[in-house]
Amino acid sequence: MPFLIEHITEVVLSIVVIVLLGTGALVAMAIGRRQRREKYFERLDDLRQRYGPIVAAIFSKKIDYDRGLEALKGITGLDRLYFLEQLLFEKTPTPAQVPILNQLCEDVGLIKVWQSHLTGRFDVASIREALARPEGILQRVGKLNFILKAKSAENLGLIHHRPSWPLLAKALNDPHPDVQSVAARALAAIGETESFPALLARLHDIILHPSSVLSLRSVKSALVSFPLNEAQRLMPSLQHEHPRIRFLAVDIIREMVEREAALNEEFVLDASIFGPELGEILLTHCCFDDNGDVRARSAPIIAYLADVRATPVLLTLLDDPQWFVRLHTVRALAKRKFLSQGEHICQRLTDAHWLVREAAAQTLLVFGHAGVDLLADHMLSTQDRYSREQIADEMQRTGLIPTLLTQYATSADQRETRVLAQLADLGKTSYMLATLISSSDRNLRKKFLADFGTHSDPRIRAWVKKLATFEPDTEIRRVAVNMIGKALDETEA
Amino acid sequence: MDWRQLFYHVMNMFNVLIVAYFFIGNGIYTFLMILSLISVWIHNRRLTYQGLDELRESVVTPPATIIMPAWNEQDIIVQSVSSILKTDYPNLEVVVVDDGSTDETLVRLVNAFRLVEMDLIYRPRLPTRPIRGFYMNPRIPNLLVISKDNGGKPDALNVGINTCRTPYFCTLDSDCLLERDALLRLMQPVVRSPQNTVASGGIVRILNGCDVQDGQVVKVGLPQGRVERFQVVEYLRSFLFGRTGWNLLGGTLIVSGAFAVFHRETVIDAGGFKHDTVTEDMDLIVQIHHWAIHKKRKIKMNFTSDPVCWTECPATLANLSKQRRRWQMGLFQTLWKYSEMLFNRKYGVLGMMSYPFQLYIEGFGAAVEFLGYFMIPMALMLGIVPPTLFVLFVVLGLVYGSFLSVGAVLLEELTYRRYPGFKDLSTLLVFAVIENIGYRQLVLYYRFQGLVRFLTGFRSWEKVVHVGATE
Repeated sequence: MPFLIEHITEVVLSIVVIVLLGTGALVAMAIGRRQRREKYFERLDDLRQRYGPIVAAIFSKKIDYDRGLEALKGITGLDRLYFLEQLLFEKTPTPAQVPILNQLCEDVGLIKVWQSHLTGRFDVASIREALARPEGILQRVGKLNFILKAKSAENLGLIHHRPSWPLLAKALNDPHPDVQSVAARALAAIGETESFPALLARLHDIILHPSSVLSLRSVKSALVSFPLNEAQRLMPSLQHEHPRIRFLAVDIIREMVEREAALNEEFVLDASIFGPELGEILLTHCCFDDNGDVRARSAPIIAYLADVRATPVLLTLLDDPQWFVRLHTVRALAKRKFLSQGEHICQRLTDAHWLVREAAAQTLLVFGHAGVDLLADHMLSTQDRYSREQIADEMQRTGLIPTLLTQYATSADQRETRVLAQLADLGKTSYMLATLISSSDRNLRKKFLADFGTHSDPRIRAWVKKLATFEPDTEIRRVAVNMIGKALDETEA
Repeated sequence: MDWRQLFYHVMNMFNVLIVAYFFIGNGIYTFLMILSLISVWIHNRRLTYQGLDELRESVVTPPATIIMPAWNEQDIIVQSVSSILKTDYPNLEVVVVDDGSTDETLVRLVNAFRLVEMDLIYRPRLPTRPIRGFYMNPRIPNLLVISKDNGGKPDALNVGINTCRTPYFCTLDSDCLLERDALLRLMQPVVRSPQNTVASGGIVRILNGCDVQDGQVVKVGLPQGRVERFQVVEYLRSFLFGRTGWNLLGGTLIVSGAFAVFHRETVIDAGGFKHDTVTEDMDLIVQIHHWAIHKKRKIKMNFTSDPVCWTECPATLANLSKQRRRWQMGLFQTLWKYSEMLFNRKYGVLGMMSYPFQLYIEGFGAAVEFLGYFMIPMALMLGIVPPTLFVLFVVLGLVYGSFLSVGAVLLEELTYRRYPGFKDLSTLLVFAVIENIGYRQLVLYYRFQGLVRFLTGFRSWEKVVHVGATE
């Protein structure tokens, strides 16, 4: 043992010294790094102060472009391009600023550098910039150059540099996923229609070769951002033998359509936007596809089609054996133009799947008063407890209860009373009681007390009891006392 | 061999064990530190093109729900919920689960957000304790507050999962404040990954000492208390190089439940949060791995160091001791529960590296180190260890601890630099060195207590009191 310990002592001493030196080195690195960063920010702040207003003035066209460009040449040094990039991309450019930024980047030489980075070529400006910062060199070493490539692709996308699209399309096949992903995003930002097939090919590739390093969402997100008239290029994909390709194609069109529809309430898909063939495929193939997902995703598109066959097709999908097809179809019908289909939608309120029931109730609420009436009528006529519960759920979530109570107080119609009775029978009384308690409408409380004061719901009972004891209004208190007596009589009977 | 020889022999064996632990443990930590330095440096550069704007605006970004369990958090709950409602994320829902609080947690929420009690449908896919009521304000449709019978944090989280309607949910402790874009950053690897990412964890930083305005950290600073400052260094070490390193190796076994995103269906299929351990977050992660292996599902878990969640750390030793005992006890409970993973090749890096590391280095290592503080001096007194070697080992222990902690501070400095002042950096460096004298031993003692509690079958959760960040 002593033999071992003697040797260990020397080893341990050496380790102590090494670790101690290592710790010291780390401390020095941390302090050195902080000092370097502070110098860096000092320089950046100085440049911001001197050139920030010039850049802003160029963007707002307050100074002549050439004069501004000349002034920017005042930034010198090896790291000139790096700092120019920092200044020009300080804020995300507005659409109006993009063309100016594009021109600026071209004129100061940034675009050439980014394109060189993206293709992996070296040029003088790039090497000068690399030498200016230690990490500049590091990022050009072997596998780390993906950082430069991706950043360059990002910048080219930010400035919507249209001539760079072929390079970006090529970058979709870069070995690094970051470069692929950023290139897809940049192509989407540029929106060059010729790049659509390259992205689509990549999408097919990802589905057919699941080992791909690029995420499906990245490519899908890029494709979705293209104008709707590009959807016609998805026709071969809609008829592809692989169900997942068909599904994604129809889902991309759906996203495109819904994006357009969100901008225009009166949006309709006619042949001028969509082309007659695409509508035909959707109405004759997609909605009858073997794959449920394809059928489900085609419903929201069909709902916008200006074609007489659209509504009958949707009604067929409304009875689809797959619950998620019914779900998407019910949601697709949530447009005022489908109010006439209210009865069909009401049938889905008794669907076997609760998500479909919920979607049906939500769709009817989109129809406004008419939809609420349909819901109320269905609630009163159905024997399906699940359906009634679902309607009660939506009435509460959307804040319909106070409106219902107001109508109940003023209307002679018995329907509101019956709906409230249904809610009470289901035990959904918390919201209505909260509304009654906070309401200053004396008549409402009196009427409710008279109609429901003897209801067996424990919350209503507790409320009546409270009124009978603490209510300052003597008439209401008297009614409450009577109701308690009446309830007791009923219980005894 | 007489008893004296036997005793000497045992002492010798123990000393060798301590030395082995020291070198293996610190060797792994050093390896993780180097890995993390590279990984975090690269990740930091990747942030320059991560495209958060595109993610925010993209229609394919999946909706998410933040689930916040709360129990007796009346002082901080309104601030926390206000903060998360401002989270920058498209299609966000917030579910706050009041786990049968006995204070004014629910009342304050109802008053602050003008909530109304509703009788909504509850469809439990995971078994939970009964629901007392749902509270909503139709004008804030993305906020749902649920009151339920007390059943513990896992039960509250399961209620949240049962009511969650989005494909992903984020668990967030009620004493935490999220940075506005933290969820977006946390979802980024989920969206961009070609693999099925079922869990994504972010970094938890210490709120004590920071200035908060409108539920957001507006100025980052170091806390005044020493106990809190030591924890700042500890958190940096734990998150920046512990979790980053394991993530890089594909051996993520711990994702802080204080702030993490999960794929809802995977969690439900794996059985949800369990009640039989006191660290439900670690338990869930291990459980998902276990489930995925058995069901032959390919999944990925991710740790990202840029999404930040600020949490209030214990400011007193009493609270610190409760927290650390629970963590250690939970570690053992979870590892014990899934003991089949140990050196099981089916689990890959998890079974062969991550699990053994957690068990032998993080788990038993604490006990060995703690006992070492008694056994080595004893060996010195008995003459088994020469005084020079004893002193050298003590110095090495301190120096190596400092080396690792300073490494964590450097990592922070190289990447995120959240603490802006030079004074903050020097304070952190000083605390990284002195935490090894006194504080480390104290934490070790609490961890040892956690082990003892595990061995003696102690099960309950010790509540750490939060006082709330001052605005």
